Amino acid sequence: MRSKKPSAVIASVLKYTFLCLGAFFTLLPFLWMISSALKTPAEIIKMPPVMVPEVPQFENFSTAWSAAPFGRYFINTIIITVLTTVCVVITSILSAFAFSKLKLPGKNIVFALFMATLMIPGEMLIITNFITITKLHWIDTYKAMIVPWVSSVFYTYLLAQFFMQVPDSLYLAAKVDKCSDFKFMTRIMVPMNKSAITTIGILNIIGCWNSFLWPLLVTNKQEMRVLSTGLIRFQTEAGTSYELIMAASCILVVPIIIVFLFLRKYVLEGVSFSGVKG
Amino acid sequence: MKRFNKTITAVFAAAAMAGVLAGCGSSESAETTTAPATTVAEASETAADTGIQPTEVTFWHSMTGQQETTLQELTDQFNAENEYGITVTILNQGGYDDLRTKLTANAAADTLPDLAQTYPSWLIPFLDKVVPLDDMVANDFDDYEDILENYREENSQFGFISGLPFNKSTYVYFYNKTMFDELGLEAPETWDDLIHIGEVFKAEKDMVSLGADDMAGFLEAAIRQNGGEFVSEEGALFDNEIGQEAFDYIMNMYNNGYARLVGEDGYFSGPLSNQLIPAYIGSSTGVSFITHEDWELGVASLPGHKQDAANTAGTNIVMFSKDANQKKATWEYMKFLTSAEATTKWAIDTGYLPIRTSAYESEEYQTFMENDPTARAAYGQSEAFFSSPAFDGSADVTSEVNATLEEVILNKEDSTEALKAVVEAVNDAL
Repeated sequence: MRSKKPSAVIASVLKYTFLCLGAFFTLLPFLWMISSALKTPAEIIKMPPVMVPEVPQFENFSTAWSAAPFGRYFINTIIITVLTTVCVVITSILSAFAFSKLKLPGKNIVFALFMATLMIPGEMLIITNFITITKLHWIDTYKAMIVPWVSSVFYTYLLAQFFMQVPDSLYLAAKVDKCSDFKFMTRIMVPMNKSAITTIGILNIIGCWNSFLWPLLVTNKQEMRVLSTGLIRFQTEAGTSYELIMAASCILVVPIIIVFLFLRKYVLEGVSFSGVKG
Repeated sequence: MKRFNKTITAVFAAAAMAGVLAGCGSSESAETTTAPATTVAEASETAADTGIQPTEVTFWHSMTGQQETTLQELTDQFNAENEYGITVTILNQGGYDDLRTKLTANAAADTLPDLAQTYPSWLIPFLDKVVPLDDMVANDFDDYEDILENYREENSQFGFISGLPFNKSTYVYFYNKTMFDELGLEAPETWDDLIHIGEVFKAEKDMVSLGADDMAGFLEAAIRQNGGEFVSEEGALFDNEIGQEAFDYIMNMYNNGYARLVGEDGYFSGPLSNQLIPAYIGSSTGVSFITHEDWELGVASLPGHKQDAANTAGTNIVMFSKDANQKKATWEYMKFLTSAEATTKWAIDTGYLPIRTSAYESEEYQTFMENDPTARAAYGQSEAFFSSPAFDGSADVTSEVNATLEEVILNKEDSTEALKAVVEAVNDAL
């Protein structure tokens, strides 16, 4: 078979054209960010939009970087994100397992109460939580940004739904084999629901990374702030310096890309795992 | 998020997490309390004692970029020069909305800083935490009458002196002088001039010739320019002949295509820079966002009608210190920031306006104004400054007026209907 059939050629041309278009549109916001980071303030607001800046303004990067201690912000954000995510995954697994498999008196009532807290908007609790944190003298500490978020009703609920789908017969069979609840959870439940747990982890990382109001409330010192609070420094009452925001975003996205390149295998595995399971 | 500590799961969770958190906690061994009032070493409670013990003062602000740099320079100068050993720390708390949220939360927790930038309306929920400055102004302040009258009024509206003016700006008329010259137009001085400019641009260039960054502010100025009053705690005060005339003028501008809403642009500095609109009304601080490489920027005072009226914006500095020594120390810093020397430097470096007449008249500022058309335009209307009154619900009124005005303009309603809709929106908001 030295040459393919014309129909196969057309099919693969179409396929690759489609994939290239898809890749282009996916990358467009990213390219736009880089291009905007190199523009002058005048080019940023130009209509029709300028795709490639006339003279790349590399000093935007140094201006943006020096506007706030981004290095420190970055470390803070990593610490808070990692610790919060680890904790939230552990607490969600434990409570979801309890709600889905263990036989506890009044379990359903407790679960209903748990769910009821989802009805209370977070904004209503912010001041109360803030007063608690103040009374504990936790202002300007990592604790203040981690502890209030180490468990999540929503993730517990989500995970409990996945755990409930695991047949009780598996649990009972393990019991017959003298497997403890904890062992059953770590050896069977968790591996079987890897994709759901990964999803929770990723959702929480995104949420932590973007959280703004709470970290700002519980920190007064610059050195305890997080990345999102750094980006608002380019906004004023009279306008926004988009080129600096974009430059800062470019700098901040680099470590994430590096992390992704290293962990690509695991991330893709997590995604494909869910596909296989479906 | 709210927890139910009694549940077995939570106990499980707590046990499992203990190890993880221990690691995190130990790295933070030195717990710091930043509640400013607790930083006081010794307080001298005797009123006769005029000396101030060395102490730290915390100032929360929203300034960024050049503004923050200048504020830091001034603060460094104060820290180095004051004879009492007072150290002021300035802390940026995000934008105005963020600062406001932080202040509200800290008022509830009783951990307000010594000093903060605030708009009067923010103070309403926690007015009892504001330190009245009347005695200090009367006994220990350099020429209070020198501060512009409008600013003094703004800071006295709660029945006591609640603060001192700090970063003040005003709305001015920015225009593309190159385009105006080409069409033989002058900067407008009255509403009629604005309408004329609208007609000329429509006919000659098929362009919309006016925008306003702040629609509620634009309406309030128009009503005041027509000799009326805008709103009070009771409701709308413009449901009358004066208000109708103001609406006739505004709806005429928008319905005939002489003015447009800002829409997705957010601020008109962008369209003006791109020469998509030849003029707009906006904050004098917006000038730093206007780029005019191949055309000349003109700045004029706001056009008036029966009288002149120009919106002011920007915050005041308000004291929340608790004990006597802390209050005295904060007051020293407030006196310094509002001194003629400091306000002149502040104004020249940042583009905000001096708060003192003597600062405006100083040689230094007069020289600066010669080369700064925005400062000239602002100074030119300083007699006509007004600030929007603050009362319970005033922020809701502003957002309702903005939304309703936008709606009636988009629907191209006639001015009687528009007036009725906005009056209703104001009264419903209260």
